[in-house]
Amino acid sequence: MNEPRSSFLVQAYAFGVEGAAPLVFEALDLRDQPDHPANRFTLSVEPGTVVAAVGDEDSGVGDLGRYAMGLARPLKGRVLVFGAAIGGLPYYDLLVFRRRLGYLQLGDGLLQNLSLKDNIALPLRYASDHRLSEVEGRVAQLVEAMHLGAVAHLRPAQSNEEDRRRAALARALALDPELLVLEAPFDGLTGRAAIEILEHAARRLDGTPRTVFLTAQDLHTSVRRLIARVVRVQDGLAQDEPS
Amino acid sequence: MTAVVAALGQPWARRLSVLGGLARFAFRAVRAAGRLSRTGRFVMLRVLVNQIRFTALQAIGLVALLSAILSFLVIAQSVRQLGRFGALERVGTIMVVAVIRELGPLLTALIVVSRSGTAIAAEMATNKVMGEVTALEAMGIDPFIYLVLPRMLGAIVSVGCLMVVFDSVALLAGYVGAATTGVHLNRYASLVLATLSAKDVWITVAKGICFGAAVALFCSYHGLAVTKGPTEIPQAVTRGVVGTIVAIFIMSAIFVAVTA
Repeated sequence: MNEPRSSFLVQAYAFGVEGAAPLVFEALDLRDQPDHPANRFTLSVEPGTVVAAVGDEDSGVGDLGRYAMGLARPLKGRVLVFGAAIGGLPYYDLLVFRRRLGYLQLGDGLLQNLSLKDNIALPLRYASDHRLSEVEGRVAQLVEAMHLGAVAHLRPAQSNEEDRRRAALARALALDPELLVLEAPFDGLTGRAAIEILEHAARRLDGTPRTVFLTAQDLHTSVRRLIARVVRVQDGLAQDEPS
Repeated sequence: MTAVVAALGQPWARRLSVLGGLARFAFRAVRAAGRLSRTGRFVMLRVLVNQIRFTALQAIGLVALLSAILSFLVIAQSVRQLGRFGALERVGTIMVVAVIRELGPLLTALIVVSRSGTAIAAEMATNKVMGEVTALEAMGIDPFIYLVLPRMLGAIVSVGCLMVVFDSVALLAGYVGAATTGVHLNRYASLVLATLSAKDVWITVAKGICFGAAVALFCSYHGLAVTKGPTEIPQAVTRGVVGTIVAIFIMSAIFVAVTA
């Protein structure tokens, strides 16, 4: 397990089991299937890999990100994040635990009354104990990495879809999370932009590979080469697709 | 019979449930203060200053205008009426008890509700509908720290400061009202100061805290209670404002009962 760089993040490491898989979906009921564990969705995401779950709108794939973040609870089954059953954590413990995770929600989830730059700074300001100068430094680093320099001062409504997506990803990466959950991250993006975003997402600050779990309705061929495992969600089950 | 009792009791049960929800909401807001990071405290201070600018600074003109008109009318009329019965010394009591102790805090809070309470409820409801509250929670940020706490502190400080503005303008305008009927400044000052006591200062401070907290809590609570979509936003604003107004009047009555 990587050591947290901020003492404020130490609290987040109180949860979970050392050496456990970053993300495990255990017998989830995604659709109205006959109630049998064999008919339920099970998937384990290995450390340092990029795993994608794809499926139609009504396949239940859209719920996986929220389940992984503990923002929603599956009717049946459970989700283990670093060995902790995230759906069972009390509210405040869950908030603390999420500092180990990054999340790019469907759309972008940016706060409309803040500039893109302030959106990126948000988790550093409120969910870490970095000094203000350190926060500014990290934000500048992310702004540059995501090519947002010219638009960082704009509000989300003043920016285009690609810049908003880049800013939302930068925000999700701000605390350098071990596990990144992305919901439909490439919608509306060119293949080139999608590749660039995924390359940023898949690498941590110290250069080690990050665990990334993403959901989408479909994936562009050019992006597939960066993904270790693609799983199609169909009839409530996970079926591996050839890479 | 059971159905009748149930039908009668249901609205009250719902109101009690809202009160319980509000109490939990207030407790969470206060508890959130202890969870702020070092940088979070600094950033929240900046947000707080902004809140005070919107809530207090930009409302000074309106508060001063209403205070001046109200005080002028009340004192000018009172001096005329009381003078006829030779009870001019009661002007001080009317100024302090009616204007400064009761109407001042009440009107100030109503101005803040109408200007900032509506904004708070609408903003919170929009935050909720746009998925921004979920985004905060996903980042590990307690929405109470980011959204509710600065608004609550901002409203408390703002209502308190605006009450001071209201009272100061009221005292001056009261003099103008009295002067139009021939009362000299020294006489007016001595009548008012004879009635004014330290208790009035403490009551003003207490009302500032209670009314300010009520504005922020009621409006935030109803704003964040939105679940379905944008069409709920105006309803949330209405519920927040009406709830705050009722709460402020009830609290005023309690203050009178307790401090009498």
